Order: sequence, then structure tokens, then C-alpha cells
Amino acid sequence: MSAIEDLALELAKLPGIGRKTATRLTYHLLKQPPEASRRLAGALVTMAERVRSCEVCGNLTEDAQCAICRDPRRDPALVCVVEEASDIGAIERAGEYRGRYHVLGGRLSPLDGVGPDDLAIDALLARVRGGGVREVILATNPSLEGEATAVYVQRELKAHGVAVTRIARGLPVGGDLEYADGVTIAQALSARREMP
Amino acid sequence: MKAPGAATATAHAAAGARRPAAPVHLERLSVRDFRNLAREDLLLPAAGAVIVGENGHGKTNLLEAIYYLQLLRSARGARDSELVRFGADGFHLAATGDFPQAREVRVGFARQGARKKVTHDGVAPPRLSDGLGGVPGVLLSPRDVSLVAGSPRERRRFLDIALALSSPSYLHALQGYRGALARRNAALRSGGRRAGAEAAVAAWEPSLAAHGAALWAERLAWVATHAGEFTRLCAAIGERGSAVLGYTSRHAVREGGTAVLAAALESQRSHDLRRGLTHAGPHRDDLSLSLDGRELRLYGSAGQQRTASLALRLLEWATLRDAIGRVPLLLLDDPFAELDARRAERVLALLGEGGIGQAVLAVPREGDIPPDFTRLERFRVRDGAIEGAS
Ligand SMILES: [Zn+2]
Repeated sequence: MSAIEDLALELAKLPGIGRKTATRLTYHLLKQPPEASRRLAGALVTMAERVRSCEVCGNLTEDAQCAICRDPRRDPALVCVVEEASDIGAIERAGEYRGRYHVLGGRLSPLDGVGPDDLAIDALLARVRGGGVREVILATNPSLEGEATAVYVQRELKAHGVAVTRIARGLPVGGDLEYADGVTIAQALSARREMP
Repeated sequence: MKAPGAATATAHAAAGARRPAAPVHLERLSVRDFRNLAREDLLLPAAGAVIVGENGHGKTNLLEAIYYLQLLRSARGARDSELVRFGADGFHLAATGDFPQAREVRVGFARQGARKKVTHDGVAPPRLSDGLGGVPGVLLSPRDVSLVAGSPRERRRFLDIALALSSPSYLHALQGYRGALARRNAALRSGGRRAGAEAAVAAWEPSLAAHGAALWAERLAWVATHAGEFTRLCAAIGERGSAVLGYTSRHAVREGGTAVLAAALESQRSHDLRRGLTHAGPHRDDLSLSLDGRELRLYGSAGQQRTASLALRLLEWATLRDAIGRVPLLLLDDPFAELDARRAERVLALLGEGGIGQAVLAVPREGDIPPDFTRLERFRVRDGAIEGAS
């Protein structure tokens, strides 16, 4: 197999990249000075060697614990449970949340053979048993799988004397009611609140 | 500028007068590589057309193609890959005309990767299910007798299709229910006797119960609204006895769905784990159809079963018409083949009550065309090729 085919094949394995794009990227890299490819390769190797999961929450980090777990200003009594480490970035960008996280590493998906044992649920229970956690916020996705995962985690936490909450869903801010789909509107209506 | 008050007053007046709904009009149909139809382009008059052709030559396939543009799957329950013409890579259907959601509806299926694509006026809806109902219509065929004589599955499919095409909330609940059911069943099968299996199964039950209760509520409401009409239709077609439409379930569906279903799922859970299948819920229910208290499925004559199945199709047609505010297409696949002339005439008269819009009738021979349809333009179909007959 040629070096060109080799790289195209590897790139095509990435999500969202088909055969055609992989070939185009390969030829694009060929046209660059060799230095550029060396930097890219170096970055990939460094990432693979250095980045790992935080031993407390499962977030991505280059140290034993992630920056959020080490930050004394973050409230350890508040734990927000997410499906993937990439979800943390989305919540952090909002800049509102001051607690800590717990990454499950996926969602219940029996059709793909993913059960509770495949997720970091035991680690979450151990964290709660360890004490100091007042509230667990379930921030899994509002999909069938995300909902079932939230239900499962909530029931597992029941015996542990900790408050469990679920993030609300509804209309996006800046969105137009006229263009929202019926399901979203129905959910927003059922989650309505009294105005102060 | 128009005064908003005036516009509202006009709208109210129009609703009060109950003007007949405008019919859906399929003007141009294009079929590529669908079943035995290689490449057909048809211009259909507003009143409709008659397709004449011997059985097996493709007239049913043409009606199935039109219906596919609404349901995005086969009316006969065939797989998409089975609909692709022998030797072709995929099929493509397009309709232009006066439809509620768009002027042009297209759907294509590629064997490679089993990909399906729908567009309404060139725009792909966010989800495939948002593209349902593009070309509203009801299909009547002699096979419909299985609605009455067949298994409960046939009647649930009838209800699910009729309600999903006329109620967005039903469609949403149906998708949620089927999704949760497939996952609970998968959890049941992978669970076995493993510790904690029950909890992994139980996690799917709140969704299942909520969506299942929504299905129950809409199914019961539909039956309540249409039971009287079912009795009237069967009598009008020629049944002497009293035909009754009802809903049967092992559950107390009328007593507040979600809690009832959640409790049933919980109490069946260990049984379900042993069998690897979910036994409680609306996916096990049935429409009950009886004549003078006797179940039509078991005790009805062939003629009585045919009458009841026609009545169900007429209800489906009315349900769709009321939901979209338009008269749906009437796709008639030789539906009177095994009906005596008097009953056929009465069915046509009943269809006329709501105002027949555009009708596409398929028959084997010219002589099979009922008097009401003889003035329609005729096409001939032979070996998968369609041509104007006149
Ligand atoms: Zn951490």
C-alpha cells in the first residue's frame, strides 16, 4: 500500500470525513512544506501520549486531575453529570456553572450493546458515597438514550441521600416560536413556570 | 393595509359556511425504477384517471408509487430494497401539484447504503419523518380484507398509519414508543440473569409509559369519535346487522394511561426478562370489530369482512380529510373486484358524500370501470409501460 493511500485510509476513519474528503486532505498536505506535516504529526503524538481522563471526573486532562477538579473555587458539593467530556466545553462556555463534573463516557444504548457497566456510573456512586456532594445535576442529552440514562442514574442515586435534578428543556433563546417544532413547544409548555 | 379585524371576520364566516375542502391535486407524476416501472411520466387531470391493465403488469405498482410519496414506505409493507426495479441502483419518485405542504415532493432511495432522501420543494426536512404526508391519499384494495380477517398487527398498523398521518403528536408518540420499546427489548435480551439487569430494563419504562399513554389516549379518542360512523357506514354499504367498532386492551387504558402502563411494565419485568420481550403496552392491543356481537374476524362472512374493511378505509379517508382540511387523493386498486354491484355502488355514493376529489382507479379491464368513472381519462399499462389509451 502506498503512503498516500495509507494516510487517506486513516483520515477516512475520522467522523464526518468520507473517502473523497480524506483524499483531498491528503493531497492538500502533500502540497504543504514537509515541516507542516511534521508539526501535525507531532501534535497528534503528543496528544495521544499526554491527554488522559481525570481520575476524579473523567474530564480530559494532561495531569492526574483536570483543571476543574483542582480549582478550589469550584463547588465540590455540586456535580453535573454529562455523557461526554466534550459536553463540559459547551457548559463551560456558558460561564454560569460553578460546580464540578462527572463524565459517564456515553449513554445507555442497548441496541449498540452499551449497558450500565460500560459507563462510569459506579465511579459516580463512589464519589457520592465519599461524601461532600449535595446535589447531582443530570445533564445528559434530551434524547431517548439520554433520558433513560438520567432515569437509571437517578434511581441508583436514590439510596444515597443526595438531591438529584435534571436540566430543563424547551425553546432556544433567540429562537422564534413560529419556527420551533411541535415537540419542543410541547415540552416548553409542560415545563412552564409561574412568573414572580 | 388590511384591517386585522376584517380578516378574522371573513375567516370565521368561511368556517361557518363549511365550504367543501379543496381537493389535493397530483398534476405530474414521475416514476424511475420502482418495481417493474422503469421510467414513467404521467400528467393527471384534476378529476383523476383510470389505469387499465391485466394483473401483474404494473397498475398496483403505480398506485403504490403514488402512496409511497405520502408514507415514505411501501403500502404493502415491503422493504425499500424490494421496491427497486431489478438491476437498478435505486428508485426515484417525484410529484408536482397542489399539496398541503409543498408544490413538489420528491423521494429517492439508493440501494447503496440503503439511503433514503425526501425533499419538499427542493428542501430536505430536518428528519425523514417530517417529510411524511407530502401527497395525502388513501389506498383501497381487495387486500384490505386482511384489516378485518387478519391478525391484530394489521389493525394496529392501520390505526398507527391513519393517526400518524393526521396527528403530529401521535407520530411523535409513536416514534418515541417504538424507539423505547426496541431499546427495552434489547436490554431484556442482554440482561439475562445478570445482577442489575432489572434496573437497566426499568430505565426505559418512563419513556415507554409516557409515549404509550399518549398512543392510548389518541387511539381511544379516535375510536370514540368514529364508532358511530363505522356502524352507519356498514349499514349503508348493506350490512343488516349492527356493526360495532371498539378498542381492546389487556390494560385499564381508560383509567389514566401513564401510571397504568408504568405499573404493568414493572409487574411484568421479571417475566419479560425470562422471555426477552416486552409483553405490556399498546403494541399488543387491537381494534375490535363485531357484527351483532360476534367478532367479524372469526365469524364474519367474506362479504361482511369486506364491508367492514371498506368502512375502515372510508373512516381513514375522512380522518385524513379532517386533519389536513383538504380532500385526499383516492387511490382505488380494483377495490370492488369481489364486491357485488349494489355494494360497490353504495361505497361510491358514500365516498361522494364527502366530495370525491382526484381519484386514480386501477382495473384489469375496461368493462370493470364503474359508471361514475367512465368519463375519466384512461391509461393502459402493459409490462411496466404506461401509455394514454384514448
Ligand atoms: Zn476532573
